[in-house]
Amino acid sequence: MTGYVGTRALRVDSADKVTGRAVYAVDVNLPGMLHGAVIRSPYAHARIVSIDISRALTSPGVQAIVTGKDFPFKFGSAIEDQPFLAIDRVRYVGEPVVAVAATTERDAQRARDLIHIDYEELPIVADMRAALAPDAPLVHPDLHTYKRGGGEIVPHTNINTLYRHSRGDLEKGFAAADLIVEGEYSVHALSHAALEVHASIAQYDPNTGGYTLWVSTDRPFFLRKTLTDGLGLDSTQVRLKVTQVGGSFGGKGVPVSEAIAVALARNTGGRPVRVELSREEDLIASQLRVPAIMKLKTGVTRDGFFTARQAEVLWDSGAYTAYTVGVAIRGSQTIIGPYRVPNIEILSRQVYTNKQITGSYRGYGTTQVTFACETQMDEIATELAIDPVAIRLQNGYEEGDAYINGQIMHSVGLRETIERASAEIGWGHVDREPAPHLRRGKGIATMIKPTMTPSSSNCVINMEADGRVSVVSAAPEIGAGQDTVLAQMTADAIGVPLADVAISETDTALTPYNGPVASSRTTYHMGNAIVAAAAEIRGKLFELAAAHFDVDPGGLTMRDAVIYDANDAPVITLVDLLAKYSAEVYSLTAGGRYSSAESPLLKADPGQEWISSIFWMLCTQAAEVEVDIETGVVRVIKVAAAADVGKAINPMTCEQQIEGGVVMGVSNGLFEDFKFDNGRIQNGSLADYKVATILDIPEITPILVESVHDEAPFGAKGIAEPAAAATPPAIANAVFDAIGVRITDLPITPEKVLRAIAAKQTQVTEK
Amino acid sequence: MTRSITTNVNGRDLHLEVDPTLTLLEVLRENLFLTGTKEGCGVGECGTCVVLIDGEPVTSCLVLAGDANGHSIETVEGLAEDGELTAVQQAFINTGAFQCGFCTPAMVLTATALLRKGGTPDAEEVKTALGGVLCRCGAYPKIVAAVAEAMGVGV
Repeated sequence: MTGYVGTRALRVDSADKVTGRAVYAVDVNLPGMLHGAVIRSPYAHARIVSIDISRALTSPGVQAIVTGKDFPFKFGSAIEDQPFLAIDRVRYVGEPVVAVAATTERDAQRARDLIHIDYEELPIVADMRAALAPDAPLVHPDLHTYKRGGGEIVPHTNINTLYRHSRGDLEKGFAAADLIVEGEYSVHALSHAALEVHASIAQYDPNTGGYTLWVSTDRPFFLRKTLTDGLGLDSTQVRLKVTQVGGSFGGKGVPVSEAIAVALARNTGGRPVRVELSREEDLIASQLRVPAIMKLKTGVTRDGFFTARQAEVLWDSGAYTAYTVGVAIRGSQTIIGPYRVPNIEILSRQVYTNKQITGSYRGYGTTQVTFACETQMDEIATELAIDPVAIRLQNGYEEGDAYINGQIMHSVGLRETIERASAEIGWGHVDREPAPHLRRGKGIATMIKPTMTPSSSNCVINMEADGRVSVVSAAPEIGAGQDTVLAQMTADAIGVPLADVAISETDTALTPYNGPVASSRTTYHMGNAIVAAAAEIRGKLFELAAAHFDVDPGGLTMRDAVIYDANDAPVITLVDLLAKYSAEVYSLTAGGRYSSAESPLLKADPGQEWISSIFWMLCTQAAEVEVDIETGVVRVIKVAAAADVGKAINPMTCEQQIEGGVVMGVSNGLFEDFKFDNGRIQNGSLADYKVATILDIPEITPILVESVHDEAPFGAKGIAEPAAAATPPAIANAVFDAIGVRITDLPITPEKVLRAIAAKQTQVTEK
Repeated sequence: MTRSITTNVNGRDLHLEVDPTLTLLEVLRENLFLTGTKEGCGVGECGTCVVLIDGEPVTSCLVLAGDANGHSIETVEGLAEDGELTAVQQAFINTGAFQCGFCTPAMVLTATALLRKGGTPDAEEVKTALGGVLCRCGAYPKIVAAVAEAMGVGV
């Protein structure tokens, strides 16, 4: 049943996007719509003493002014710790305190400036090490009383997540080692910096007490649950209509603009309220990648096999937890890397600080731990004088290996990614000194990532009387091309032309449940749901055809809307077959469902099944860099990026994900760097928080490895996240190869490179 | 207080009464409903709001609407004629030169302005011309390929 799967089909969202017709949340305009603005905390930690809104109330155009006490709800998917608007206390610079709705955006902003708030400053927790100090101020003194899920906390401290995992016998493992390497690695806060800022519209229905929102989100059902749980509403009382999403990267899943819009909409008598953050607000007061400090201790034998690894990871959730609890748990597991390590111990702790909230970011913890794992992998290779490619090949997971919970891994194409990425970069050959001030080097890094497990996807497929197909599903197009790959799979699974397939928009009141468009899970999960529904549609069609022509339905097939018999002779076209039946008496609708929860592939050690992943993403990148030893500037010349995708449903969209991930990885690893001063971001603009431009990109060679997965639709796994995680360590390892110094804290700035070069020279002189 | 301006937007002469404090970006999006032009920062740092003014790419968030008086403006909506895409638009589709699409109008317009000048800019010149428009999805490699393809076709 192939035709479109595996081809570079053009994206189905093409025409709308090149003509400006695609509608994002910022483009939605409703009758009577008001505009919101919010006054934010100037302090990292303070008590709200008083709020005076009297002057703002009479400002032109003002329709509603709302404080936290007027809308006293809190939300949080793992720990219900975050108010819609600050109540009594502010916990980070930029926290929303008072919201205003007015006729125009400018009216709202003018009124906002007339609000006066008195604060009493409190001692702050400026960073995650300070958060652990025995006498540290508590960001949430009442944490132990909060409603929360199953995660472990440490009451009366700033620790909001505590997680341990062990396997084997660590002491025995270290005793068996010929060499023990220890190191500390750190990664910084990053903004998702989607070009579409956070924006949404909320409308309250006084009759039902519910809300309708127009949102740009990657996980509508999760966002809906966060809102309904927080507001004490049932599932029908919050309806999300999802627009095109102008970039998410994991950043558009928690209430940001939505929290403010809902609080205002409750007070405008049913008029919709739009809240659109400014770029500065988006950078300083939406959500960041979780920073982490990682201690790694690894034992290896003389010939380069692992005996033990001990990891201690400290994560910074910022002022509220959002999705970080999952990041701290899932992320810490993958610090072992895609390697066979018999004895392991992981301790993961996450703390509150008085900083902007952090959360899920493309890779869900892997961008952090991969840097530690892969930097230390190279340190081990250097100490043992083993080639960095060879040591990864000899330890890397193969089909049938056991993961850290005993799950037997399937569809493991790691070896091929290592071999092909290193071959593409020309491993072993470097033009070391192209100019007196320039040094070149090559580096390699691998990565492993699970997908969210268990999770489920549902869809409904309708076939119209003219043979056109619509797939009703809640998988918003966030830019990653999922509408296109879902349409390709639908076309092949039913046997109709790609042009005859339409993928619906998402509306939580109409589209059946789907997990998030996150964790690189959509192709696999929704693809499986589509394959299931398509099989039912085909089955019905073949029954009709078989009855009509008195043939065995089991021998029939359909391609491009023509039904063929067992001898591959055309029987009838789909249109002609459907014309024989009236929609009134025969409708073709089928539901499809897939849940990974029921898969035997998840079997693991008793009690450890929850760590299993229904598929594993594996990727290897090899980078060549050029370091200017006079300025410290690192230029990435080329990145060869190999990803095991299971099966490329569309090689072009796979390349987009890999190339985009590498661009993001270069940007994350070299340029992006928030400067904090006592919790306050000093560079909240795109001029000062630099993201990669088209002038900064290396040559990128995407390589697709296909280790077909047996339970996957057409064999396809996920692709979107891995690339961004492997790039920074590949660059860091290449920098070491070029100039012999290791940068163990990201980003790799010219200042750090120059300092490291100077420190190395001092060391050499002293020796 | 408003100001009357005469401008040409996507080939149509318009006489507008505009609030002189509004930017061209705001007037295009809010008064003329040309929402294909996007705002990414509002302060000239991201390039998402590029339109062509007398054929030159300009960040419309930094232009006051009054300053459009007497000039011709081209937005992404003005490129295709009755569904017939331009060579640049078609090349963006063929090469997969977009993901979320939020920067695409600005990228397409900037590339169009470059190619209308004629000549055969090499990849470095293309990158320099597009250097002011950010794309967080990282579609950059395919955008360079799209411009090369469009160059072969002609604009």
